[in-house]
Amino acid sequence: MLLAFSSYSYSSEEVFGTTGNAASAGYSWVMQNVLPQQTGLTVNAVVYRYTTIKEREADLLVHVQNENARGPGYIFRSTDDWSGLDGNTINRTIPTDSIDISYWGKGSIETEGEGEVTDAGVYYSYKYTPCEDQQSDPTCPGYIDYTAVQTEESLQLETGEQYIQAELDRKSNLKAQKEEEEREAREKLKEEALEEVTESLETLLGVINTNLLNDQSRVLHDALMAVNYLPKSYFSVLKGGTYSDSIHLKDANLPDAKKGAKVGLAQQILHQEMVQSQWD
Amino acid sequence: MKHFFLFAVLGVLASGAQAEDMEVVGSVDSKCVITPDTAGVYGNPTPDELSSDPSDGGVDPIVRYDVIQANYYKARISYPNSFSESPALNDVVNWTGDTATSQVSDTGMSGYDAAKIEYDNLTEFNLTVAGSTWFKTETSAEYGYGKAFPAGVYRAVVTAECIAI
Repeated sequence: MLLAFSSYSYSSEEVFGTTGNAASAGYSWVMQNVLPQQTGLTVNAVVYRYTTIKEREADLLVHVQNENARGPGYIFRSTDDWSGLDGNTINRTIPTDSIDISYWGKGSIETEGEGEVTDAGVYYSYKYTPCEDQQSDPTCPGYIDYTAVQTEESLQLETGEQYIQAELDRKSNLKAQKEEEEREAREKLKEEALEEVTESLETLLGVINTNLLNDQSRVLHDALMAVNYLPKSYFSVLKGGTYSDSIHLKDANLPDAKKGAKVGLAQQILHQEMVQSQWD
Repeated sequence: MKHFFLFAVLGVLASGAQAEDMEVVGSVDSKCVITPDTAGVYGNPTPDELSSDPSDGGVDPIVRYDVIQANYYKARISYPNSFSESPALNDVVNWTGDTATSQVSDTGMSGYDAAKIEYDNLTEFNLTVAGSTWFKTETSAEYGYGKAFPAGVYRAVVTAECIAI
């Protein structure tokens, strides 16, 4: 508890600082390389120093400036007029009224006229509250570890995914069960069909035109095709046509044949005698 | 009788009056502040010379004047003309020195050098621009006529004053 309080106290205090020499590597600089990248950081003052080398009579303007990163023009510009003056070393501190870091664009020292600038140093005085952006530091109160949140979300997502997967599996099982039942039904039908084919193959011979097949016959046909049971010749289309009856029999009374009746009667009598003899 | 009456009335008036002394207090802070910036160091380029010139191994002392309002003060800076501490010396010491602006906080101060007044070991600058001005003093001492300084510690003092005009 004490540690937490201490951390909070520390975090709520403003931090004041001054940058290193922004012009150490040249007379043009990028502020991202100069100011600490802290949310809410403000620049209170710009301190600069340089030495001019010039003739007294020469005109010389020296600009120490920063572009406005959020608009046209400059967010800071200090101009020193050395015209008619001896060269010297100037050391100035310019208050900047706490300008937010987001406004501070590219910095530079520019000269107009005759003369030279040497030994330049530009320093920015700044302040910020460390935990103004709670996400800036894991020690800040209210800091949210998004990676942990993501993990939790992943777990939730995983749980959701598991539920969906289970549901899909259940449906898949139902589907598989249904397919299994259908497959078994087809197998049964296939076996019945094979038996039927074995018994009466002739019924298949007239089913070349598959459009005329009923479902059962189609299944049977497919099964036979699968086992390569039918010879190819069965699927050859015969040149068809109509074979009309060429003989016409005129209706007439056809009397029973007496000879046949005699034979039939004799056979009947013989048959009765044979049956009777079994009981005698 | 008339006079008496008059005195009597005055006496009554005097005895009935009250007097209070009210104090008015004010303080004035100097609007000119002198701050030592860089401590000087004597170099010893030759046995007979002590010099604060960096080329002689020394460091020039620098003092900063901060004035809040222009044209109210002048800076008076003196270079040393004697040692405040040294071994016993039995010969003369020849002192030379010079004071000039080292840094300025406003380009207008760059004209101070051209307008400075020098006399004896003193240099005066009219502080005509508000802000900070750094003055650097060069000082050197030569002992006798090419005579070596005795070994020991030598100290001298640069005096900086801010004088109201």
